[in-house]
Amino acid sequence: MLGLIAAVTLGLPLLGLGPLADTPIGLSGYQVNLVGQVMAFALLALAHDLVWGYAGYLSLGHGLFFAIGGYLVGMHMIKASYVGQSGVPTFLEYMGLSEFPAHWMAFEYFGYAVLAIFVLTALVAFVIGFLAFRSRVVGVYFAILSQAFVYAAMLVMSRNDTGFGGNNGISGFGSLLGMPLSSLEFRVGIATVSALVLFMALIALRRLTVGPLGKLLIGIRDDEDRLRVLGYETLWVKTGVWCLSALLAALAGLLYVPQVQVASPQLLSPMLSIEIAVWVAIGGRGYLYGAIVGAVLVSVAKFWLTRFMPELWPFILTGSVLFVVVLLRNGLMDPGPLFSRRRND
Amino acid sequence: MMHRLGARLLGALTLFMASTVMAQSDVIDAWCDGDREARVGSFKAVLADMVETHETGEQPLIARAMLAFRDGDLLCAEGTAFIPRDEGFQNVLTGTVVDEPPAGASAPFLNIPLRRALDPFASAVQLLTGVEAEARIRAAQRLGRSLGDVPPALIEQIYEAEENPDVVAALENVLVPALLASGEPQAQQRAIATLSQSSTRVSRRALDEFLADADETTDPAVITAAEETRASIHRIIQLSGVATVVYHGMSYGSVLFLAALGLAIVFGLMGVINLAQAEFVMLGAYTTWFVQEILRAAAPGLMEFYLFIALPFAFLAPALVGVVMEWGIVRHLYHRPLLTLLATWAVSLLLINLVRVTVGTQNLNFVTPEYLQLGFTVFGEFSVTWSRLLSIVIAGLTLVGTLIVLYRTRFGLRMRATTQHREMAACVGVSTRRTDAMAFAFGSGLAGIAGLALTSIYNINPTMGTALIIDSFIVVVVGGVGSVLGTAVAALGIGQLNAIIEPQFGAVAAKVIVLLAVIAFIQQKPNGLFPKKGRR
Repeated sequence: MLGLIAAVTLGLPLLGLGPLADTPIGLSGYQVNLVGQVMAFALLALAHDLVWGYAGYLSLGHGLFFAIGGYLVGMHMIKASYVGQSGVPTFLEYMGLSEFPAHWMAFEYFGYAVLAIFVLTALVAFVIGFLAFRSRVVGVYFAILSQAFVYAAMLVMSRNDTGFGGNNGISGFGSLLGMPLSSLEFRVGIATVSALVLFMALIALRRLTVGPLGKLLIGIRDDEDRLRVLGYETLWVKTGVWCLSALLAALAGLLYVPQVQVASPQLLSPMLSIEIAVWVAIGGRGYLYGAIVGAVLVSVAKFWLTRFMPELWPFILTGSVLFVVVLLRNGLMDPGPLFSRRRND
Repeated sequence: MMHRLGARLLGALTLFMASTVMAQSDVIDAWCDGDREARVGSFKAVLADMVETHETGEQPLIARAMLAFRDGDLLCAEGTAFIPRDEGFQNVLTGTVVDEPPAGASAPFLNIPLRRALDPFASAVQLLTGVEAEARIRAAQRLGRSLGDVPPALIEQIYEAEENPDVVAALENVLVPALLASGEPQAQQRAIATLSQSSTRVSRRALDEFLADADETTDPAVITAAEETRASIHRIIQLSGVATVVYHGMSYGSVLFLAALGLAIVFGLMGVINLAQAEFVMLGAYTTWFVQEILRAAAPGLMEFYLFIALPFAFLAPALVGVVMEWGIVRHLYHRPLLTLLATWAVSLLLINLVRVTVGTQNLNFVTPEYLQLGFTVFGEFSVTWSRLLSIVIAGLTLVGTLIVLYRTRFGLRMRATTQHREMAACVGVSTRRTDAMAFAFGSGLAGIAGLALTSIYNINPTMGTALIIDSFIVVVVGGVGSVLGTAVAALGIGQLNAIIEPQFGAVAAKVIVLLAVIAFIQQKPNGLFPKKGRR
């Protein structure tokens, strides 16, 4: 898997820009873009797996952090394109503003935007995680509560007077770090960076999960009460891992939005957040690889099918989820249950 | 009913009546060849005559002729006039009916200012003599736009004599502003007394305007009365506003309760959250619609009662889907609540898209039966609409029915036993498998009934469940898992909270605030209002 991702990382520049770009196996800008988006999704799934596969907490609200990363990087790109000129984008004009409001301050600096993404994500994740874990919200409760958060956020961002473009979101980004978003160089560049970030995240999380912290997380997943009795304060372990996962999800959003060139409440739809969980479930929980496999398979299938058979996609998704959940309980990574005779253990 | 004022004839009226009674032929002449003055005078005279002599019953011919003249339907010829009737043309002077008006008959031309001057008189005549209440209401509305030279005292007289409550109400809108503007203290006092009968925003605004226009010429006693009346109306409006909010909260809470009840029962029993529950609500609504369409095609006479005919179907169709779902999916996933969550989500996606492909995505049209369309005003501005009341009644009956099933039937006994301690229940011979399947079906059916209750309140479309499922789950969390009464209390509470916040800050803010309130609540009571008894 690591080798595969490394191959993608190296292959993208070669096939997209390098000497192989014009050969039959070369990739067009559109295809590079798709690969880049899938890499961002894989990172998102990886973040989700850390919480679900290891700590056993199913989040149906990871879109919240994905959207924080996406919206804030969008703000950066808009602010950067207005440097040195007066006026504001139309969605702010609608609010009756003639200049950028205070919370847009300093967003023209990419470094500051990244810092803001990390601080805000950590803050939001900490508040949600701390409150939920402190009152021992577990299992299904946690899942639905996280979904409620993402749903509430979607409602708020869909309003025109929130100042983020309402239903249409914010778009019309020109460039990132001085590179025009539509140029082939930028597309190949950001897709490569996405693959590289995924590669590094995978290595880091592997180190993390095979170590003592990983053991603790699996302990939380399998028998949290016993851990508590043994004297572990699981609250801080869980909150910490939850925040780490949220940061990775925000990073995925940061990489995703410049590739699709729009940040809209779609990022916050409960449907997307559930789909993240579906990727992980289909690939297999608690392997890290599984999440990536699931994300890649499902999103590639979705890109492909929604182009050719848009009507059919929901049915295929339903079928795959039911197949995996009922017959392949541990996802594609573990084909065992298909061949075992014990059905109802 | 209506408080009646004693009939009074005021100076203005007697003056007005003193105008000479005109012969009918002179009236016709004035209409056909008179100038503006003569025509307005003739209208005045006829109206005065009517006030003196009119008996209820048939509308006099001259009144008909007046209205026809105003509408440009009156034809002048040979020194007389003809008006169109069903059977031909009637001579206004002689009353005889001919098939064709004489050659050269023409309608006199009325310019707009003249028509404006005549219209109030014509409307007043219509009010006096109109046989149908509809026509009298229309006349009152016309008078409301402009009273012209018709004295308010005359309208007051008509108002005293009027029997039909709808016409009385329409007349009030004419009379009150006229009396208030008349500058006569007694008339103003009467108007204020009339206003105090109906405590609505309209009457409050009328008093506001009156008080704003009051100056030193206005009688101080009248001003005091107006201020007192305004204060009392204001109080009643505030009270009725509170009542309206409570009522809306109750009806929304009822729907939440119906949607969440099945969820709570199944969750308490199996620890399974059915994300397709909201789609069962949608299925119930669609079943209701199918029943309506089938009745429309097969038995239009029964259309009025389609809601009652659809009730068993709205319960059974989702229950059937629930049984299949339980048998095919849920039973394989015991002890894996999170995977069940995803599986049920997949089912909800399937149901949404099946409906989308087969029926379409547009909102369904429901024919709200006659008897549900209206409501009645309780007091002030608080009115009860039947369709909302129906959802409250359905929720109440469902609550009682569910309690009976749980506490008075064998099935309920098994369900409670399994909820409290599954292994022990299995040991004493309860078939937990069958109990689960039946409970799942029961919960799904309850969701279907919620769908039926929603048909007259909400938009019914394939994706209607998205908002509902989160709200229902929050109700389950607050109420305490598996507690029927807890679900009811939580649903009413959250419905109430929503209804209080929504008018102030909007629907989105209401949702967010409710969510935050629930998070704070869970900090205090992690197991809900009514925690589950028994061992865990």
